[in-house]
Amino acid sequence: MSRELYACVHAAELPAQALLRLRPELRAQPVVVLEGPAAQQTVCALNQRARRRGAAPGMARLDAESLPEMKLLRRSPQAETVARSILLECVSQFSPRIEDALPDALWGEAREADQATACAFVLDIQGTERLFGAPEQLAQRLRSCLSAAGFHVSIAVSANFHTARLAAAHRGGIRVIAAGQEAAMLAGLPLTALGRDAASDADLTEILAHWGIRNLGELAALPEAELVTRLGAKARAWSALAQGRATHLFRPIQPALRLEEFCAFETPVAQMDSLLFTAARMIDCLVQRAESRALALAAVTALMQLEDGSSHQRAIRPALPSLDRRFLLKLVQMEIGAHPPQAAVTSLLLQAEPGRSRQMQLGLFAPRMPEPSRLDVTLARLKLIVGEDRVGSPVLEDTHRADSFHMLSLMAERAGAGQRPQNISGQAPEAPERQFHRLCLRRMRPPRPVNVLLRAGRPAAFHDRKQSFKITAAYGPWNSSGCWWSAAAWQIGPEPHGSAAWSSAEWDVLATSPDGSPCVCLLNHDPQRNTWHLEAFYD
Amino acid sequence: MPSAAVLQMEIERSLAARFPAALSPAPQALRETASTGVAAVDTLLHGGLPAGAVSELIGAESSGRTSLALAFVASRTAEGRVCAWVDAGDAFDPESAAGNGVNLSQLLWVRCQGTPSSPSSRDVPQAERRRVQGLPLARLDQALRATDLLLHAGGFAAIVLDLANTAQEHGNRIPAATWWRFRQAAGSTHCSLVVLGRAAYAPSSAAIVLECAARQARTSGGTILSSLEYSVTLKRDRSDCISPRPFPARRPTASTWTAQPGWTQQTRRA
Repeated sequence: MSRELYACVHAAELPAQALLRLRPELRAQPVVVLEGPAAQQTVCALNQRARRRGAAPGMARLDAESLPEMKLLRRSPQAETVARSILLECVSQFSPRIEDALPDALWGEAREADQATACAFVLDIQGTERLFGAPEQLAQRLRSCLSAAGFHVSIAVSANFHTARLAAAHRGGIRVIAAGQEAAMLAGLPLTALGRDAASDADLTEILAHWGIRNLGELAALPEAELVTRLGAKARAWSALAQGRATHLFRPIQPALRLEEFCAFETPVAQMDSLLFTAARMIDCLVQRAESRALALAAVTALMQLEDGSSHQRAIRPALPSLDRRFLLKLVQMEIGAHPPQAAVTSLLLQAEPGRSRQMQLGLFAPRMPEPSRLDVTLARLKLIVGEDRVGSPVLEDTHRADSFHMLSLMAERAGAGQRPQNISGQAPEAPERQFHRLCLRRMRPPRPVNVLLRAGRPAAFHDRKQSFKITAAYGPWNSSGCWWSAAAWQIGPEPHGSAAWSSAEWDVLATSPDGSPCVCLLNHDPQRNTWHLEAFYD
Repeated sequence: MPSAAVLQMEIERSLAARFPAALSPAPQALRETASTGVAAVDTLLHGGLPAGAVSELIGAESSGRTSLALAFVASRTAEGRVCAWVDAGDAFDPESAAGNGVNLSQLLWVRCQGTPSSPSSRDVPQAERRRVQGLPLARLDQALRATDLLLHAGGFAAIVLDLANTAQEHGNRIPAATWWRFRQAAGSTHCSLVVLGRAAYAPSSAAIVLECAARQARTSGGTILSSLEYSVTLKRDRSDCISPRPFPARRPTASTWTAQPGWTQQTRRA
């Protein structure tokens, strides 16, 4: 039976890392993150460069501003939540058993959850050698993966859960602790490394300090029985921790897949290009995360918080789930371009809906179809040209009312090979030979009002505002009506959309235009309003 | 030799190193056609409208242009292909299309409206927008841009550019370069571009020009319009120029066909 093995991933200064992750241009600068009310802002996190310049946690804003070239950012809890979920998602690629090493319960009253400035996860990596190699190799791969996601972490591997956790939190880089070396590794850590108990029990730490005990090595060297006799049962747990033999019941968590990226801007962004520059990076990250789970992005929603306090939301849904970064960015660009926000953007949240990539078996004789991704871009461009609701496939409504239809988006998957009628050889069927052809109409939208001259109750001539037509023959009327049964018609209820009562008397007329050319028209008479309209031409 | 031909030869000679035959269309040995869905017209065209080329259906109102184009689209969608209808006049009737057998789920309908909707146009003053709205030239511009996009997107078996409501003087203002580009794009994407119009707007780029006209209206008992008879005349067929035949074959250049109201077909079925 193989021994237990744990790897702890510790991301320090999470508020700073969460903000710098999507802005690599700031990583080369000293950056501090401030929190608190405007007048009393203090530094809660900072990067290494800022630390070298003299910045420190708890420093007041004015002091931080006085440091040269210091970049000051405001803390964003939402960005930290997203960063934490991304970190969890990355480590879940290496082990299905993960425990949160810094849960809220561990810190309890000592530190509120929103004040935590670090994030740590412990992975149970027992039995993963065949997949990822020796613990050193696994740690290297883990660090590379997190580095690609924009995180700077320290990693410790140990057979003891708490040893891995403490070593990752207080030692930088990668540490692989051999069995039996736990106490030696922890020896140099201060007593504050013991966590909440030591931090909250000021009396005990004061007693230990009075004894001259300042680090875990000195604590581990004390005889346990004597220690417990003098300090109580808590000292036993401290001693076990310091010696690297504390036991732990592993409580794995179930990370839920949340494809989200968040970015808060320092100054409101009014330029579309700047917004898309950031959105491109966020889409990259989303695609990478979805790809690592063999998924694709089925939809992307952009939620923008605006300077005036309102929000603006736009969504794209490609015909097929896609992992093409440029294609998704293009769709987002055109969607936001068609519906730009009414004020400058202060933060951008991208939420993606995962979907399965579809594999389609193409036939040798199957007719060529529009490529789904190109079709999506083309449709978006067409909507920019003619309008949102004026591109698509018409769908007839179940009514006799003239010109009743609505538009649906032309879905590539609906027109794809899967839905295509095919014979056994995969060849599309031949078009059936049509024996009869129906007369076709060309609609006037809206119908053109005309004045009609009647003779013996039949139309004899009509003219619109531009020209007069002489009617040579009129056939009709074809009477029809509908929706007279609706509640609105009887004034007993509200009128739903498209349910107004209607009636019409249609006439097919052969007419001659002023220039002598014949035409066949469809005239519509509304008996209720006694109006005539030129509805359509037969063509 | 005409001066234009001399000029073309000189240009091609100077560009020969980089673009062989820059101004000459690529020779096509085999002409692929697609059935129009109307047997009489297919016979006239020896198979149907050419794929990867521009065809024009011209004529006055009620001349049967739309019916013929819909029959063509119906035959293409029945094969499982996707088609597009770019409607410059917003006159397309989905009910007529469905009645003619067009699979509407495989038809992309682009309804031009003449109102600029691009984000840059949001800055246009309201009065100017009102003035531009509905102008025929704005609709024509939208239709041409939409056709260009669809042709270059590829995958469409047929695209109908419906300019039947466009005034002839406006249609004549479409630059020849536009038609040339459409022709090249249709050739490369293997798409049949069918242009409906009152007159031939792309004479040099169109492979086929069919002139439609109404011949006769038939009635049933003098009270009901029972059918319309249309005539189709082949005004131009560029495939004759590239035909391997040593001499042009004699063949009819006109044909007739008939369309009936929907109720007559239902009566026959009953």
